[in-house]
Amino acid sequence: MKRFITGTLIIMMLGTLLIACSSKGENESKDEPSNSASSPAASTSVEGNDAAVYPMKTDKTLTYWGEMTGNIVGVKATHEEVPFFQDWQKKTGVKLKFTAPPAGQAKETLNVMLASGELPDMIEFNFLSEFPGGPEKAIGDGYILKLNDLIDKHAPNLKKFLQENPAIDKMVKTDNGSYYAFPFIRYDEYLRVFQGPIVRKDWLDELGLPVPETIDEWTTMLRAFKEKKGAAAPFAVNSKPRFFNDSYNGAIMGAFGVKRDFYQKDGSIKFGPAESGFKEYLRLFQTWYKEGLIDKNIATADGKAVDSNMASGATGATIGNAGGGIGKWQPLVEANDPKALLVAAPYPVLNKGDTPMFGQKDNAYSSGGIVAVTASSKDPELAVKLLDYGYSEEGRMFFNFGTEGVSYNMVDGYPKYTDLLMKNPDKLAPAQAMSLYVRGSYNGPFIQDKRYAEQFFARQTQRDAVDIWKKTDVAKYALPPLTPTPEESSEYATIMNDINTLVDEMTLKIILGSESIDKFESYVDKMKSLNLDRAIEIQSAALQRFNNR
Amino acid sequence: MNRLVRDFVMNKYLYVMMIPVIAYYVVFHYAPMYGALIAFKDYSPMKGIWGSDWVGLKHFHDFFNSYYFWRILKNTIVISFYSLIFEFPAPIILALLINEVRNKAFKRAAQTITYMPYFISLVVICGIVTDFTNADGIINRLFVSLGYDGQAMLQKAHLFRPIYILSEIWQRIGWESIIYIAALMSVDIEQYEASRIDGASRLKQLFYITIPGIMPTIAIMLILRMGNLLNVGFEKIILLYNPATYETADVISSFVYRKGLLEFGWSYSSAVGLFNSVINLFLLVMANSISRRINNSSLW
Repeated sequence: MKRFITGTLIIMMLGTLLIACSSKGENESKDEPSNSASSPAASTSVEGNDAAVYPMKTDKTLTYWGEMTGNIVGVKATHEEVPFFQDWQKKTGVKLKFTAPPAGQAKETLNVMLASGELPDMIEFNFLSEFPGGPEKAIGDGYILKLNDLIDKHAPNLKKFLQENPAIDKMVKTDNGSYYAFPFIRYDEYLRVFQGPIVRKDWLDELGLPVPETIDEWTTMLRAFKEKKGAAAPFAVNSKPRFFNDSYNGAIMGAFGVKRDFYQKDGSIKFGPAESGFKEYLRLFQTWYKEGLIDKNIATADGKAVDSNMASGATGATIGNAGGGIGKWQPLVEANDPKALLVAAPYPVLNKGDTPMFGQKDNAYSSGGIVAVTASSKDPELAVKLLDYGYSEEGRMFFNFGTEGVSYNMVDGYPKYTDLLMKNPDKLAPAQAMSLYVRGSYNGPFIQDKRYAEQFFARQTQRDAVDIWKKTDVAKYALPPLTPTPEESSEYATIMNDINTLVDEMTLKIILGSESIDKFESYVDKMKSLNLDRAIEIQSAALQRFNNR
Repeated sequence: MNRLVRDFVMNKYLYVMMIPVIAYYVVFHYAPMYGALIAFKDYSPMKGIWGSDWVGLKHFHDFFNSYYFWRILKNTIVISFYSLIFEFPAPIILALLINEVRNKAFKRAAQTITYMPYFISLVVICGIVTDFTNADGIINRLFVSLGYDGQAMLQKAHLFRPIYILSEIWQRIGWESIIYIAALMSVDIEQYEASRIDGASRLKQLFYITIPGIMPTIAIMLILRMGNLLNVGFEKIILLYNPATYETADVISSFVYRKGLLEFGWSYSSAVGLFNSVINLFLLVMANSISRRINNSSLW
């Protein structure tokens, strides 16, 4: 135990490096889109018996624990300094005391906090997919509250929204029907797709190549980038925290009908890395790597390494976000080469004209930025009333656009971000400046507005990207947010932890060529001996329960 | 009993002076052992240590039967063993070399420069190592200029241990040599004079006077080291490894880190930690008794 505590402290001190390697990747995919205004207006009806009138009159102070968005790391050090969080307190009338974990270490820090037994009133954390054991376990172990009664009585806005949207309601609760957190809702379809392949259009034009659609065209393109454009790492991706981090949603390997995760096909659940399509993907990447078409440091490359490869023209193709990818890299490549242009490419397929099976697409309820009320909260009612604000008409405007006259102006009924955000006088990038005044640009306990993305995606290439990337069949194959039962979940976590370690090992060893592709079958056998079938069984049962909700 | 009381009365101030030391051990070393209980329970912070359910040896059982058990055990032992063979003698050799140098200024400079890296944060060290071993890092450029192929060295499983051990030596050699240099100072000068009169060469002096002179220090250091044999720190490992090198790099402590901190498996990781400590204790006792038998120097 002593060693464990020492270890914990050391980890916390190790901050810097862990930030560098682990945080970026995951955060980025979360802080993309936004949501639609044209929605079932959750008009702040005062029908509920206890509807809060904002600002509320109270002299209590609540405590709030949550990670700061990666967008403002280095700009502001604490929540208190961020105008959005100052205004949130003013608008709701509740004083808040914030605590934030070091960037990228939310999970480790939460772990230590839970072990200490001293919890704040509210915790902003992904209890659905990041908390070992899932939300039911967090409730069962007495960390957070089951919110059903509280929402029923004190959160009329959220209640109304969920009643009007039964499909979303189904995702937000567990199999047992428990609500465990105030959800982050990407209401509009447009906000759910924000990631995909990105290529250097100017190079393609120069070489007389089309934007690639098939795997063969990709190979031709990468080869040309390497030979004719002198690209040292034609294809580079972020490998932190896991190898080719974004392949969980099936980028590239989707052409072979798999993704690095569970999916459903013909009514049964499959695990991508154990399917034969995965072997083809490994074969492709092995040849790419051998030919020098993939970044040589791919196993250790983090977000920063990809940034610098893009900027220096060593890389011409990658997987990235419309905002945090194209938006971030376009100015960088332009600085080096004024003609440079990054555009989205469709998810590759085997035969021209096919529709890709997989691609990034979030569910309407994505679990980043959700806020739970803890069991040790002294005033859960007040916390619930505070959190309900984000679902009211007024609160949605505030979360998405900030304060009128400061961060946005109403122009013909359209909330237009001011230059304070879009052309920041302190030379902050729009993504950074926005995150100071609104939460629309990343996530949180509210309903995201489409009008945010329309303005955030300032470039035409970014807006086109979403349209190109959304053309996939992923809706047919994707799984909804599943919750294993608390008993199953620790078993599931143990199995999957071992299997994922094995998958990463297999992937890298085969791709880097230290093992032959023929080893694939023996790895699949190992996965089986690690009880993959049991994991699939647990997932299937969870899917069954979800469908029965 | 009577004797004890008399002794206490006679040395009461000595006893009083000892209280802080005893308190330190009780508070910081013995009291936390109570926490080791959670290795036998399904610990849940909300129920507290005592209130959590007993599960007996379940976590130990899970660990010994885990798929990766043999691999991480082997890696831990191999890395420790390598560092025992290669890293342990390095500071001794450095100390002997420095001892032979007659130029005072050079001696000081060499000492200062070699122990400087010890004060650099491990995170920074690992950053440097990662950069140097990249496909286009400085080491690979050197190889390329000699006509070899550049490759990202941290992606090669067979290179992980050499990189780990070499960077370890580089960082600690100067610092660890200090104790040996101090020991060298205490070797009797008259013995050297006598041997010189008898016609011993410098090499002979080294083997017959210097090394035997610091042997007790070496033995003690070795015993202490044995007690940490299975303690390969996870910090450096997790900063340097990746799935391509798990095969040679994943050790008990990095496994505990993944289990305990990332999966909230408090009890499980305590069980593994406890297992680790028991083995270490066993090794320490063994090394001590061997050392006592062979060269009469031991910790107790």
